[in-house]
Amino acid sequence: MSCYDLSRLLFDLKMKEAVYQSSLKDFERVMADYDLTTEEKDALRAGDPRKLRQLGVHGMLCLYIKRLQPEFRDNIYWQQK
Amino acid sequence: MPLVSALAASHAPNILLEPGREWEEFMDLHYSMAPQASANRPTFEQQKKLRQDAEAAFAVLREDLEQAKPDVLIVVANDQFVNFFWNNIPTFFVTIGDEVKGQFTRHSFHYRNHKELGKAIIRAGMERGIDFSYGEHIELQHTQNVPLYFLLREAKIPILPIYVNTWVDPAPSPRRCYQVGELIRAVAENFQERVAILATGGLSHFPGSPRIGEIDETFDHQLLEVMRQGKGKSLVDYSVQDLLQAGDTEFLNWMVVIGAVGDAKASYTAYMPDFVATGWGFVSWRSL
Repeated sequence: MSCYDLSRLLFDLKMKEAVYQSSLKDFERVMADYDLTTEEKDALRAGDPRKLRQLGVHGMLCLYIKRLQPEFRDNIYWQQK
Repeated sequence: MPLVSALAASHAPNILLEPGREWEEFMDLHYSMAPQASANRPTFEQQKKLRQDAEAAFAVLREDLEQAKPDVLIVVANDQFVNFFWNNIPTFFVTIGDEVKGQFTRHSFHYRNHKELGKAIIRAGMERGIDFSYGEHIELQHTQNVPLYFLLREAKIPILPIYVNTWVDPAPSPRRCYQVGELIRAVAENFQERVAILATGGLSHFPGSPRIGEIDETFDHQLLEVMRQGKGKSLVDYSVQDLLQAGDTEFLNWMVVIGAVGDAKASYTAYMPDFVATGWGFVSWRSL
Protein backbone atom coordinates (compact mmCIF):
# COMPACT_ATOMS: atom_id res chain seq x y z
CA MET A 1 0.00 0.00 0.00
CA SER A 2 1.39 3.38 -0.97
CA CYS A 3 1.52 6.12 1.59
CA TYR A 4 2.66 8.74 -0.89
CA ASP A 5 0.35 11.50 0.25
CA LEU A 6 1.02 10.84 3.91
CA SER A 7 4.75 11.02 3.22
CA ARG A 8 4.22 14.12 1.12
CA LEU A 9 2.49 15.95 3.95
CA LEU A 10 5.38 15.17 6.31
CA PHE A 11 7.91 16.19 3.64
CA ASP A 12 6.05 19.48 3.21
CA LEU A 13 6.06 20.02 6.98
CA LYS A 14 9.84 19.79 6.74
CA MET A 15 10.47 21.75 3.57
CA LYS A 16 7.60 24.21 3.13
CA GLU A 17 7.36 26.86 5.80
CA ALA A 18 3.88 27.87 4.62
CA VAL A 19 2.57 24.33 5.15
CA TYR A 20 4.15 24.22 8.59
CA GLN A 21 2.64 27.56 9.59
CA SER A 22 -0.78 26.58 8.24
CA SER A 23 -0.57 23.30 10.13
CA LEU A 24 0.05 25.12 13.39
CA LYS A 25 -3.15 27.08 12.84
CA ASP A 26 -5.46 24.41 11.44
CA PHE A 27 -3.98 20.95 10.88
CA GLU A 28 -7.36 19.46 9.94
CA ARG A 29 -7.61 21.86 7.02
CA VAL A 30 -4.07 21.05 5.87
CA MET A 31 -4.75 17.31 6.06
CA ALA A 32 -7.76 17.87 3.82
CA ASP A 33 -5.40 19.02 1.05
CA TYR A 34 -3.85 15.54 0.90
CA ASP A 35 -5.40 12.24 -0.16
CA LEU A 36 -5.26 10.54 3.23
CA THR A 37 -7.11 7.55 4.63
CA THR A 38 -8.95 7.74 7.94
CA GLU A 39 -6.22 5.57 9.49
CA GLU A 40 -3.53 7.95 8.23
CA LYS A 41 -5.34 10.99 9.60
CA ASP A 42 -5.73 9.30 12.96
CA ALA A 43 -2.01 8.52 13.04
CA LEU A 44 -1.17 12.14 12.25
CA ARG A 45 -3.53 13.38 14.95
CA ALA A 46 -1.92 11.00 17.45
CA GLY A 47 1.43 12.68 16.78
CA ASP A 48 3.36 9.48 17.37
CA PRO A 49 6.09 8.91 14.77
CA ARG A 50 6.08 5.20 15.52
CA LYS A 51 2.48 4.89 14.28
CA LEU A 52 3.37 6.71 11.07
CA ARG A 53 6.29 4.37 10.52
CA GLN A 54 3.97 1.40 10.89
CA LEU A 55 1.95 2.83 8.00
CA GLY A 56 5.02 2.73 5.77
CA VAL A 57 6.44 6.24 6.09
CA HIS A 58 10.23 6.55 6.12
CA GLY A 59 11.38 6.90 9.71
CA MET A 60 13.13 10.21 9.21
CA LEU A 61 10.01 11.77 7.73
CA CYS A 62 7.92 10.46 10.63
CA LEU A 63 9.88 12.66 13.04
CA TYR A 64 8.50 15.81 11.42
CA ILE A 65 5.10 15.30 13.01
CA LYS A 66 6.82 16.25 16.26
CA ARG A 67 7.38 19.73 14.83
CA LEU A 68 3.74 20.51 15.54
CA GLN A 69 3.95 19.62 19.24
CA PRO A 70 4.55 22.55 21.61
CA GLU A 71 7.37 20.85 23.52
CA PHE A 72 9.28 20.17 20.29
CA ARG A 73 8.46 23.35 18.38
CA ASP A 74 11.77 25.04 19.19
CA ASN A 75 13.90 21.90 18.87
CA ILE A 76 17.33 22.60 17.37
CA TYR A 77 16.83 19.79 14.88
CA TRP A 78 14.49 21.91 12.75
CA GLN A 79 17.25 24.48 12.26
CA GLN A 80 19.14 22.13 10.00
CA LYS A 81 18.16 19.68 7.28
CA MET B 1 46.32 14.01 -12.95
CA PRO B 2 45.69 11.39 -10.26
CA LEU B 3 43.38 12.15 -7.38
CA VAL B 4 45.32 14.23 -4.88
CA SER B 5 43.37 13.41 -1.71
CA ALA B 6 40.65 11.00 -0.60
CA LEU B 7 38.75 11.28 2.65
CA ALA B 8 35.72 9.79 4.38
CA ALA B 9 33.91 11.12 7.43
CA SER B 10 30.66 10.78 9.30
CA HIS B 11 28.05 13.51 8.96
CA ALA B 12 25.95 12.92 12.09
CA PRO B 13 24.28 16.23 13.01
CA ASN B 14 25.33 16.02 16.65
CA ILE B 15 28.97 16.30 15.61
CA LEU B 16 28.26 19.95 14.88
CA LEU B 17 25.62 20.58 17.54
CA GLU B 18 26.83 22.07 20.81
CA PRO B 19 27.17 19.68 23.76
CA GLY B 20 24.45 20.32 26.32
CA ARG B 21 21.08 21.70 25.33
CA GLU B 22 21.44 21.12 21.60
CA TRP B 23 22.52 17.50 22.05
CA GLU B 24 19.71 16.93 24.55
CA GLU B 25 17.09 18.28 22.14
CA PHE B 26 18.54 16.15 19.34
CA MET B 27 18.30 13.06 21.53
CA ASP B 28 14.82 13.91 22.82
CA LEU B 29 13.54 13.98 19.26
CA HIS B 30 15.26 10.87 17.97
CA TYR B 31 14.44 8.77 21.00
CA SER B 32 10.75 9.39 20.33
CA MET B 33 11.18 6.49 17.89
CA ALA B 34 12.73 4.25 20.53
CA PRO B 35 12.24 5.51 24.10
CA GLN B 36 14.26 2.60 25.55
CA ALA B 37 17.41 3.94 23.88
CA SER B 38 17.25 7.05 26.01
CA ALA B 39 18.65 5.14 28.98
CA ASN B 40 22.14 5.20 27.46
CA ARG B 41 22.27 8.87 26.54
CA PRO B 42 25.75 10.34 27.04
CA THR B 43 26.52 12.77 29.82
CA PHE B 44 27.56 16.35 29.15
CA GLU B 45 31.19 15.39 29.80
CA GLN B 46 30.94 12.52 27.32
CA GLN B 47 29.38 14.83 24.76
CA LYS B 48 32.24 17.31 25.11
CA LYS B 49 34.84 14.54 24.83
CA LEU B 50 33.18 13.22 21.66
CA ARG B 51 33.17 16.67 20.12
CA GLN B 52 36.87 17.11 20.96
CA ASP B 53 37.75 13.71 19.51
CA ALA B 54 35.80 14.44 16.34
CA GLU B 55 37.50 17.81 15.96
CA ALA B 56 40.89 16.11 16.37
CA ALA B 57 40.04 13.56 13.69
CA PHE B 58 38.74 16.24 11.34
CA ALA B 59 41.95 18.23 11.95
CA VAL B 60 43.99 15.34 10.57
CA LEU B 61 41.74 15.08 7.52
CA ARG B 62 41.81 18.85 6.98
CA GLU B 63 45.61 18.88 7.15
CA ASP B 64 45.80 16.08 4.59
CA LEU B 65 43.35 17.88 2.33
CA GLU B 66 45.22 21.20 2.53
CA GLN B 67 48.59 19.51 1.95
CA ALA B 68 47.20 18.03 -1.26
CA LYS B 69 46.36 21.53 -2.58
CA PRO B 70 43.22 20.49 -4.47
CA ASP B 71 41.45 22.71 -6.98
CA VAL B 72 38.09 21.04 -6.33
CA LEU B 73 36.56 18.77 -3.71
CA ILE B 74 34.00 16.17 -4.80
CA VAL B 75 31.56 15.51 -1.96
CA VAL B 76 29.81 12.14 -2.19
CA ALA B 77 26.82 12.11 0.14
CA ASN B 78 23.20 11.02 0.36
CA ASP B 79 20.05 13.08 0.41
CA GLN B 80 17.65 12.76 3.32
CA PHE B 81 14.39 14.06 1.85
CA VAL B 82 15.63 17.58 1.15
CA ASN B 83 16.23 17.58 -2.58
CA PHE B 84 14.56 14.33 -3.53
CA PHE B 85 11.19 12.81 -2.67
CA TRP B 86 9.23 9.77 -3.77
CA ASN B 87 8.25 11.44 -7.04
CA ASN B 88 11.85 10.95 -8.23
CA ILE B 89 14.70 9.22 -6.40
CA PRO B 90 17.96 9.30 -8.38
CA THR B 91 20.36 6.44 -7.75
CA PHE B 92 23.35 8.66 -8.60
CA PHE B 93 23.03 12.42 -9.10
CA VAL B 94 25.66 14.96 -10.19
CA THR B 95 25.22 18.68 -9.52
CA ILE B 96 25.83 20.97 -12.51
CA GLY B 97 24.69 24.37 -11.20
CA ASP B 98 26.97 27.37 -10.75
CA GLU B 99 26.77 27.44 -6.96
CA VAL B 100 25.42 25.51 -4.00
CA LYS B 101 24.14 26.77 -0.65
CA GLY B 102 22.87 25.43 2.63
CA GLN B 103 22.30 26.21 6.30
CA PHE B 104 23.02 24.33 9.51
CA THR B 105 21.76 26.12 12.64
CA ARG B 106 24.00 29.21 12.90
CA HIS B 107 26.26 28.18 10.05
CA SER B 108 25.82 29.19 6.41
CA PHE B 109 27.49 27.36 3.55
CA HIS B 110 28.00 28.76 0.06
CA TYR B 111 30.36 27.31 -2.53
CA ARG B 112 31.00 27.54 -6.23
CA ASN B 113 30.04 24.29 -7.88
CA HIS B 114 32.53 22.76 -10.30
CA LYS B 115 30.03 22.02 -13.04
CA GLU B 116 32.74 21.37 -15.65
CA LEU B 117 34.03 18.44 -13.63
CA GLY B 118 30.45 17.35 -13.05
CA LYS B 119 29.70 17.30 -16.76
CA ALA B 120 32.96 15.45 -17.46
CA ILE B 121 31.89 12.74 -15.02
CA ILE B 122 28.40 12.54 -16.53
CA ARG B 123 29.76 12.26 -20.08
CA ALA B 124 32.34 9.66 -19.11
CA GLY B 125 29.62 7.71 -17.38
CA MET B 126 27.44 7.72 -20.47
CA GLU B 127 30.33 6.29 -22.49
CA ARG B 128 30.94 3.56 -19.91
CA GLY B 129 27.40 2.52 -19.10
CA ILE B 130 26.72 4.57 -15.97
CA ASP B 131 23.92 7.05 -16.62
CA PHE B 132 23.85 9.67 -13.88
CA SER B 133 20.91 11.86 -13.09
CA TYR B 134 21.89 15.50 -12.91
CA GLY B 135 20.48 18.94 -12.20
CA GLU B 136 21.36 22.55 -11.56
CA HIS B 137 19.82 23.17 -8.15
CA ILE B 138 20.40 21.39 -4.89
CA GLU B 139 20.30 22.57 -1.28
CA LEU B 140 23.23 21.51 0.87
CA GLN B 141 22.13 19.65 4.00
CA HIS B 142 23.81 18.15 7.04
CA THR B 143 25.16 15.25 4.98
CA GLN B 144 27.51 17.76 3.36
CA ASN B 145 27.52 20.66 5.80
CA VAL B 146 28.78 18.83 8.87
CA PRO B 147 32.03 17.58 7.29
CA LEU B 148 32.45 20.77 5.24
CA TYR B 149 32.30 22.86 8.40
CA PHE B 150 35.41 21.13 9.67
CA LEU B 151 37.21 20.53 6.36
CA LEU B 152 36.43 23.52 4.14
CA ARG B 153 34.78 26.21 6.24
CA GLU B 154 36.07 28.93 3.95
CA ALA B 155 34.98 28.36 0.38
CA LYS B 156 38.52 28.57 -1.00
CA ILE B 157 37.83 26.05 -3.75
CA PRO B 158 34.67 24.86 -5.50
CA ILE B 159 33.00 21.64 -4.54
CA LEU B 160 31.03 19.11 -6.57
CA PRO B 161 28.17 17.42 -4.70
CA ILE B 162 27.39 13.93 -5.95
CA TYR B 163 24.47 12.05 -4.41
CA VAL B 164 24.12 8.32 -3.87
CA ASN B 165 20.77 6.87 -2.88
CA THR B 166 21.70 5.18 0.38
CA TRP B 167 18.48 6.30 1.91
CA VAL B 168 15.53 4.47 0.44
CA ASP B 169 14.99 1.01 -0.92
CA PRO B 170 16.02 -0.04 -3.57
CA ALA B 171 19.58 1.27 -3.22
CA PRO B 172 22.53 0.56 -5.52
CA SER B 173 24.88 -2.32 -4.79
CA PRO B 174 28.31 -1.78 -3.21
CA ARG B 175 29.76 -3.09 -6.49
CA ARG B 176 27.99 -0.42 -8.50
CA CYS B 177 29.15 2.30 -6.12
CA TYR B 178 32.71 1.01 -6.43
CA GLN B 179 32.39 1.24 -10.24
CA VAL B 180 31.25 4.85 -9.95
CA GLY B 181 34.38 5.52 -7.91
CA GLU B 182 36.56 3.91 -10.56
CA LEU B 183 34.92 6.13 -13.15
CA ILE B 184 35.56 9.27 -11.08
CA ARG B 185 39.20 8.28 -10.67
CA ALA B 186 39.56 7.86 -14.44
CA VAL B 187 37.99 11.27 -15.08
CA ALA B 188 40.24 12.89 -12.48
CA GLU B 189 43.33 11.38 -14.11
CA ASN B 190 42.43 13.07 -17.38
CA PHE B 191 41.38 16.35 -15.78
CA GLN B 192 43.65 19.38 -15.80
CA GLU B 193 42.93 20.36 -12.21
CA ARG B 194 43.77 18.72 -8.90
CA VAL B 195 40.78 16.69 -7.73
CA ALA B 196 40.10 15.60 -4.14
CA ILE B 197 37.18 13.45 -3.04
CA LEU B 198 35.27 13.11 0.23
CA ALA B 199 32.64 10.53 1.17
CA THR B 200 30.31 11.32 4.05
CA GLY B 201 27.99 9.32 6.28
CA GLY B 202 27.87 6.31 8.53
CA LEU B 203 29.10 4.43 10.07
CA SER B 204 26.64 2.10 11.82
CA HIS B 205 23.37 3.77 12.79
CA PHE B 206 19.62 3.23 12.51
CA PRO B 207 18.04 6.69 12.23
CA GLY B 208 14.27 6.93 12.36
CA SER B 209 14.06 3.30 13.43
CA PRO B 210 13.13 1.40 16.58
CA ARG B 211 16.77 0.24 16.49
CA ILE B 212 18.12 3.76 16.99
CA GLY B 213 20.83 3.63 19.61
CA GLU B 214 22.24 0.34 18.34
CA ILE B 215 25.74 0.66 16.87
CA ASP B 216 27.42 -2.34 15.25
CA GLU B 217 30.96 -1.50 16.30
CA THR B 218 32.31 -4.90 15.26
CA PHE B 219 31.13 -4.44 11.68
CA ASP B 220 32.49 -0.89 11.58
CA HIS B 221 35.91 -1.99 12.80
CA GLN B 222 35.97 -4.68 10.10
CA LEU B 223 35.31 -2.05 7.45
CA LEU B 224 38.07 0.19 8.78
CA GLU B 225 40.54 -2.69 8.88
CA VAL B 226 39.76 -3.55 5.25
CA MET B 227 40.49 0.06 4.31
CA ARG B 228 43.76 0.07 6.26
CA GLN B 229 44.81 -3.05 4.35
CA GLY B 230 43.92 -1.51 0.99
CA LYS B 231 41.48 -4.31 0.27
CA GLY B 232 38.38 -2.20 -0.27
CA LYS B 233 37.58 -4.02 -3.49
CA SER B 234 36.77 -7.11 -1.43
CA LEU B 235 33.71 -5.24 -0.15
CA VAL B 236 32.03 -5.24 -3.57
CA ASP B 237 30.64 -8.68 -2.82
CA TYR B 238 28.67 -7.35 0.11
CA SER B 239 24.97 -6.92 -0.55
CA VAL B 240 22.92 -3.89 0.40
CA GLN B 241 21.25 -6.19 2.92
CA ASP B 242 24.63 -6.92 4.54
CA LEU B 243 25.12 -3.20 5.06
CA LEU B 244 21.50 -2.65 6.10
CA GLN B 245 21.58 -5.21 8.89
CA ALA B 246 24.59 -3.40 10.37
CA GLY B 247 23.05 0.05 9.93
CA ASP B 248 25.73 0.87 7.39
CA THR B 249 23.84 1.75 4.20
CA GLU B 250 25.53 5.16 4.09
CA PHE B 251 28.73 3.20 3.61
CA LEU B 252 27.60 3.14 -0.04
CA ASN B 253 28.91 6.72 -0.21
CA TRP B 254 32.23 5.43 1.11
CA MET B 255 32.21 2.66 -1.50
CA VAL B 256 32.44 5.32 -4.20
CA VAL B 257 35.60 6.70 -2.62
CA ILE B 258 36.92 3.18 -2.09
CA GLY B 259 36.45 2.59 -5.82
CA ALA B 260 38.31 5.82 -6.49
CA VAL B 261 41.31 4.91 -4.31
CA GLY B 262 41.55 1.30 -5.57
CA ASP B 263 44.19 -0.64 -3.69
CA ALA B 264 45.55 2.32 -1.76
CA LYS B 265 45.81 1.75 1.96
CA ALA B 266 44.10 4.15 4.32
CA SER B 267 46.81 6.14 6.07
CA TYR B 268 44.63 7.35 8.94
CA THR B 269 41.51 5.97 10.59
CA ALA B 270 39.64 7.05 13.70
CA TYR B 271 36.46 5.71 15.22
CA MET B 272 34.22 6.69 18.09
CA PRO B 273 30.68 5.48 18.85
CA ASP B 274 28.68 8.49 20.03
CA PHE B 275 26.41 6.60 22.51
CA VAL B 276 23.47 8.32 20.80
CA ALA B 277 22.98 6.66 17.44
CA THR B 278 26.08 6.53 15.28
CA GLY B 279 29.56 5.09 15.03
CA TRP B 280 31.58 8.09 13.90
CA GLY B 281 34.28 7.13 11.41
CA PHE B 282 37.09 9.16 9.84
CA VAL B 283 39.52 8.01 7.15
CA SER B 284 42.21 9.56 5.00
CA TRP B 285 44.18 8.11 2.11
CA ARG B 286 47.38 10.15 1.65
CA SER B 287 49.12 7.95 -0.93
CA LEU B 288 46.97 7.44 -4.00
